[in-house]
Amino acid sequence: ATHITEQQDENARPLRDYSEALELWTTFQTKTQALSQSLSSQLRLILTPTQSTKLSGSFRTGKRLNIKKIIPYIASSYKRDKIWMRRAIPSKRAYQILLCVDDSSSMSSADSNSSAGRLALESLVMVARALTVLEAGQVGVLGFGTDVFVAHALTDPPFTSHDTGARVLQHFTFRQDGTDMVRLLRATIDQFREARMLQAFGSSGGGSEDLWQLALILSDGLVQSKDHARLRPLLREAMEQRVMVVFIVMDDARGTNKGHSVLELKEARFGPDGIPVIHRYLDSFPFPYYLIVHHLEDLPGALAALLRTWFAEVNS
Amino acid sequence: MDEPMADAPGPQVRVTFTTTEADLQLPESKRQLLVPADIRRYGLSRILNSESMLDTGSIPFDFLVNGSFLRSSLEDYLTSNGLSFETSITLQYVRSLIPPVYEASF
Ligand SMILES: [Mg+2]
Repeated sequence: ATHITEQQDENARPLRDYSEALELWTTFQTKTQALSQSLSSQLRLILTPTQSTKLSGSFRTGKRLNIKKIIPYIASSYKRDKIWMRRAIPSKRAYQILLCVDDSSSMSSADSNSSAGRLALESLVMVARALTVLEAGQVGVLGFGTDVFVAHALTDPPFTSHDTGARVLQHFTFRQDGTDMVRLLRATIDQFREARMLQAFGSSGGGSEDLWQLALILSDGLVQSKDHARLRPLLREAMEQRVMVVFIVMDDARGTNKGHSVLELKEARFGPDGIPVIHRYLDSFPFPYYLIVHHLEDLPGALAALLRTWFAEVNS
Repeated sequence: MDEPMADAPGPQVRVTFTTTEADLQLPESKRQLLVPADIRRYGLSRILNSESMLDTGSIPFDFLVNGSFLRSSLEDYLTSNGLSFETSITLQYVRSLIPPVYEASF
């Protein structure tokens, strides 16, 4: 089992200065306002169910018998004949969304205006705000590098105040000297399993709500290739748990990062004959759902398109 | 569908190749590469010479990292400089001046 350490690591790892984090959040929120609105209106169409999947009501004709109505039906000498249920009410969906931000040092670069880290934080603010406006459900934030930490629990208050946001940004300094994606996936699956149980336990409707769990990973996509094979069984496990994992590759194309795109990144391995063989790094990338973001403006449309495709696949 | 574990490589380091030699420039799309962390100048030379890179046959190369010649593995270079595998190493390649006889002892 994975250990998610909250207290100890916070003591070990220095936080970003609060006022600096507050300024960052405020700047990013203002900067991404329009994009965030665009994302939330696109997501509203996708996340709100339009199809009625629950059967209910009392009708003369319908899809399935309403068992509770059978005895009164017989007792009334077959007069109370509204004994059928129909697809009437769209089933209510509840969402739990984890935004997982890569805090490893490969995310930072000398030019802080063009780095995967900055793009990830801007994206985090934009997506968190869009989801808050939507009131789609619970939103949490995990950070990962050599280990995994909770920057904002699913049960924490929504991102309605700059203070809440600033406290999350404080955790991200991009100084962890490893990128353990295996550990992140393990922790994500475990968190969601626990959250699902809490949800089932707490919901008054007796689990009548349809729970959807979604993890968005914001990262430069640089994972040790030897981990690719170890990630596949975890991705299968996530799918079996009905957890959707979307990998958003932060590939900042601004300024000095030009020509350093992960799309161009190659990988050299030596065959048994000692001859080097060169592959495209992304060819062995194990995440089935990923999108590459070069500019912040790309994200709302790309994310909406991917989720639309996925929901269509799941519902078909 | 999964790659067999035997194929799984060891740790990798990200490098960026640069050079001042006009006749040995790599196109921009080939300058960034993940290489085995235990690689040394001989392995790096083989990569640069390979068909999918410079396609230069067997020119011996030397590599400058932060102004000094690389004389250890990349992993050792990172460790002795207190750097992690998250670091991208810029390698400047030059034609090696070391005679081929010495080369054979590598
Ligand atoms: Mg990293």
